[in-house]
Amino acid sequence: MSSLPAEEIERIVAGALTGDRAAESRMLEALRPGVLAVLRFGAFHRWIDQEDLTQETLHIVVERVRARTIDDPRKVFAFAAATARNLALNAARKMLRQQTVVDSELVDELAQNMEMEQGELSDSDDRQLAHAVAALLDELPTERDRQLLIRFYLDGTDKQQLCRDLGLSPKHFDRVLMRARTRLRTIIERRAPHLAFLPKATSILLPLAMSFTFWVRHFGF
Amino acid sequence: MKSLDHNSFEEQTRLVSRYVAGDLSRSERGEFEAWLVASPELAAEVEMERRLRRGIASAARRGWLKRPAPVETNRDQRRWRIAIAASVVLSLGVVLSILVPRGEPAVPGKGLFAAASERRVASTVNVRLGNVRGTGGVPDVSVSLTDAPSELVIEPDVVVLTCPNGALELECAGGSAPQTPQFVEYEMDLVKRHGETLAWRSSRQIPVGRTQLSFTLRQPGSYDAGDYDLIVRGHSPDHSEVVARFWLRVSAE
Repeated sequence: MSSLPAEEIERIVAGALTGDRAAESRMLEALRPGVLAVLRFGAFHRWIDQEDLTQETLHIVVERVRARTIDDPRKVFAFAAATARNLALNAARKMLRQQTVVDSELVDELAQNMEMEQGELSDSDDRQLAHAVAALLDELPTERDRQLLIRFYLDGTDKQQLCRDLGLSPKHFDRVLMRARTRLRTIIERRAPHLAFLPKATSILLPLAMSFTFWVRHFGF
Repeated sequence: MKSLDHNSFEEQTRLVSRYVAGDLSRSERGEFEAWLVASPELAAEVEMERRLRRGIASAARRGWLKRPAPVETNRDQRRWRIAIAASVVLSLGVVLSILVPRGEPAVPGKGLFAAASERRVASTVNVRLGNVRGTGGVPDVSVSLTDAPSELVIEPDVVVLTCPNGALELECAGGSAPQTPQFVEYEMDLVKRHGETLAWRSSRQIPVGRTQLSFTLRQPGSYDAGDYDLIVRGHSPDHSEVVARFWLRVSAE
């Protein structure tokens, strides 16, 4: 997972927009984690091959950058996100069309099965995660914060209602959530680091392979 | 995009939460995802938000969460004040009714209160519904507008127990019986068949004792006569599904 700051990524993309081929390769590496995240967190994540679509998205982005029809790095980010989303939608549609199933209940069942097959957490991971969250809740300094997290995440009580009930300002509410997330990350990194951000070998290898492909294609080794 | 660049951490937290909950509008989501492409570190925040949601749900499912006692709040205090005031008024009413000689006009409100109280107790109707919908063209629940209860308590038997890994099996690994509700939370919708309009939605609830659900529809007599679907929906952090559908008929006679 790349951890380049946003300003650095913007600078790299700006370089690629000038036609700098080295910057273009770096752009592919820099955009990849974000594009992958859009696909992973999107509504169709369980219907698509995220790695494949990330590669396809980056192909389209690089073609567009080379065509010089975009002049602002921020428009490249928006274009990449929209492209990823549209490709995911099309892939999901295609997948459903290929199923000769018209019964909506069966489609639901199919979706469920796929979700189980592609479930990102094993039972052991799920248990570790539950342990980490239970530890986080135990560590919270006040009963009010505990109640806030449980009612917000488990009961689905909305923020305004919770702020009213618990006598909190919206800013304080956001701070509790932010601290909880940060603390959970620390606990997870200590107890089950693999749950912090499920890295895949392909996350590292693919950008390298793609950069190499573009490099070869351009300079014709 | 520009507007997101200078957001505070609080604003970022709020957006991440809304994004994971699926509460962003189409344009907000587009803007957020462009930001995600530009700031991969934001992906870690989104991931952690997802973990937090799933972790809390999983801990609750496993019975590891101690549900905190409600914190006394301003709202609670207001309720107490109202309750105390109501008690004082009621006591005064009772005292007056004793002191005022018989034959005098009754204290207004006393009779009404008692009648209302009895009616409330008498007019709650409990209905247990099996997980297989009734057949033969007969509604699962019928309510007459002329004799409608004040509350209709519906207890659908629809919670399916699964193994800890979510698998639907008769026997889990190690030979234990499935004990985990398939969904973390359940809710009920009342949908009028004519026009497919949502007439009522319950709050979400966690099954009590693993399988018991109880939804209270208040004043069923206030709904229009006609046929309705009672739809029970299960929710987990990343999936929701209709688990049962029943037929409610509100008749004019």
